[in-house]
Amino acid sequence: MPVLTSDDMCPVCKMIRYLNKDMEFLINPECYHSMCSNCVNRLFNDGPNQCPYAGCHKTLRRKGFRSAFFGDLTVEREVDIRRRVAAVFNRVEDDFETLRDYNNYLQMVEDLTFDLVSGTDARRHDAEATLQQWEASHKAEIERNRKAGRDADEMTRRRVNAEREAARQRRVDALREAEDEKVERARSREAELDSLAQGAAPGGGDGQRVQLKRPGPAAGSSLASASFSSASGALADVGRLSIRGLKEKRKPAAAEGPYDPFGGMDFVPSRYRVREGLDHPWLNKYRLDRSYATGGYTFNEYTHRAMFEAFAGLGVFVDDEKEVGIGLSAREVATIGAGIAAVGDRMELD
Amino acid sequence: MTMDLVEQMNEQEKRKYVKGKKLGEGTYANVYLGHARHDAGVLVAIKKIKVQKEYKDGLAPDAVRELKHLQELLGHPNIISLLSVFSSKDQNLNLVLEYLPLGDLEMLIRDVDRVRYGTADMKAWMGMLTRAVWFCHDNFVLHRDIKPNNLLIAANGEVKLADFGLARSFADPGTRMTANVITRWYRPPELLFGARHYSGAVDIWSVGLVFAELVLRAPFLPGNTEVDQINLICRQIGTPTEDNWPGVTQLKEYTVPSEVVPVWGKDAYMSRFGGAGSDGVDLLVRTLALDPKNRITAREMLEHRWWRTDPRPTRNEDLPRKSAGGEEKAAVDLSRRNGVVDDGARGTKVARKLDFGAAR
Repeated sequence: MPVLTSDDMCPVCKMIRYLNKDMEFLINPECYHSMCSNCVNRLFNDGPNQCPYAGCHKTLRRKGFRSAFFGDLTVEREVDIRRRVAAVFNRVEDDFETLRDYNNYLQMVEDLTFDLVSGTDARRHDAEATLQQWEASHKAEIERNRKAGRDADEMTRRRVNAEREAARQRRVDALREAEDEKVERARSREAELDSLAQGAAPGGGDGQRVQLKRPGPAAGSSLASASFSSASGALADVGRLSIRGLKEKRKPAAAEGPYDPFGGMDFVPSRYRVREGLDHPWLNKYRLDRSYATGGYTFNEYTHRAMFEAFAGLGVFVDDEKEVGIGLSAREVATIGAGIAAVGDRMELD
Repeated sequence: MTMDLVEQMNEQEKRKYVKGKKLGEGTYANVYLGHARHDAGVLVAIKKIKVQKEYKDGLAPDAVRELKHLQELLGHPNIISLLSVFSSKDQNLNLVLEYLPLGDLEMLIRDVDRVRYGTADMKAWMGMLTRAVWFCHDNFVLHRDIKPNNLLIAANGEVKLADFGLARSFADPGTRMTANVITRWYRPPELLFGARHYSGAVDIWSVGLVFAELVLRAPFLPGNTEVDQINLICRQIGTPTEDNWPGVTQLKEYTVPSEVVPVWGKDAYMSRFGGAGSDGVDLLVRTLALDPKNRITAREMLEHRWWRTDPRPTRNEDLPRKSAGGEEKAAVDLSRRNGVVDDGARGTKVARKLDFGAAR
């Protein structure tokens, strides 16, 4: 004896498919308990009634019943919930400043959906409240996003149609061209035969034949240009598509002062002052060497650097600036610096 | 497995970034797109220095130079920032640099058909370049390879000086520096004549030639060889002689064409570089002084009146830019060997290979 599955027997009236070939199961998204259409008619014809399942106290209406799309009713339920959540949280990536924000948003939505789908009662309750509150407080925004989404869909549809139309046009053109060419070839052949019959030299036909070869590549190029123009058209469409929903560009309205060629920086040493004409016997030896002056070497720069290096590091406390730059901590900088200094002596030579 | 402290720190630093697809490959380094592990929105360029055969027992000098000077020059908006350094397997050195997606200045200069810019834009770019050079020099670093394709453009339009593979700090008296630096077209006469003691003036000459290139939209002095380069300088700017540059004839490789051209005055430049305006040409002439002692310094450049006269430099967000192809180009720029003209796009004659082993 064949096993009766839930597909074959109504769990409410125990009617089996064998007796009623047209039996159809309906569910109500209030509780997702399935029953046959006869039961629905019988129980809910006279207005709202309690779900006939034992222990289920949901009040159902006939209007809410529909046939399930998925065989598995848990899937059906999840899809319904997701549809509902997606209708409320209908932001797109463009609404967000950064990808990270968008991902955080998606994560939040997914958490909420999960709570609704398979959370405990308390969590489901919370999620439900959040959802409703959000929906209530952001009604206008949601409506606007939905409209934008519809527009985008419409745009995509139109673009796809345009592309298809362009492709069809191209095919038609190519066919017609081939046809024309064939006719042309036949005609020229006839002309040639005629001229031969009239006793003219066949040399005259040569130019014509050469000319006849041309339509091939020409057709190709026209095809290419057609496809190019349609492609660029599509591109323009895409461009328009992506503009939608962009954040408004906030121009800094700050009144600008005069242009500062130094970019707001100045490196005047605070701990010492370099006087011009600093003298040192050791330096004078090189000062007399003409090749320094000729090459543009400036001793001034050297004294500046010597002073800078003498004072560098004074008043710097490594603990105070643990973070130097973006990725390097002070300690690492020191390590790398030491490593380089070890190699550095040799590199200084050139 | 236990690791010593240094290895642990390295591992920790390495874990902060996720290496993505390869953006470009060069003889000297590969460049990868990457992002910070904690936030996929923070993009970085990871420059992985290749192990070079000539330098078995240590790092390649370019890598050392780049690392050493970039970490000293942190924090200026017009210098590419080094975010981190770590070594990956086989002791490969990885530099984490900020990601500059909009290509370089050369792309904008070359794309005559699609990119148009005016005096205000040039002023903004030159301002950023000059500030970068000023910052380098004030921190006693010579860049020694300034050229348009080492000037990368950040997403906000800011120009950033990159590629410190030839940089060094100012030399002490008594140390000799190599004269074989700076890509030929941007190399100043004192280096072409083999001077071994020079200063920031060499970078200023390059800045001047970048400026000229911005106006002309073509390299101003594209010499095919070093001799050709000297000839071009003599013809376009003037012949260096004892009169305009005392002591020049004593330089080791001093050779000039027999026909002496007097140094051109400002009027001669006006016809070709009028696009920069009278004050702009004045600044250009000062950067292209033959005698490095008379050449303007970066600080003096910034004090020049050109910046204060109309038109006002364009704001970064309004600068002309190119959206397509920046990614690959930036990667090429980062992975190129230093001091060499790009073969493909700019003629096959390249500067002679820099051989630091021989120069030592």
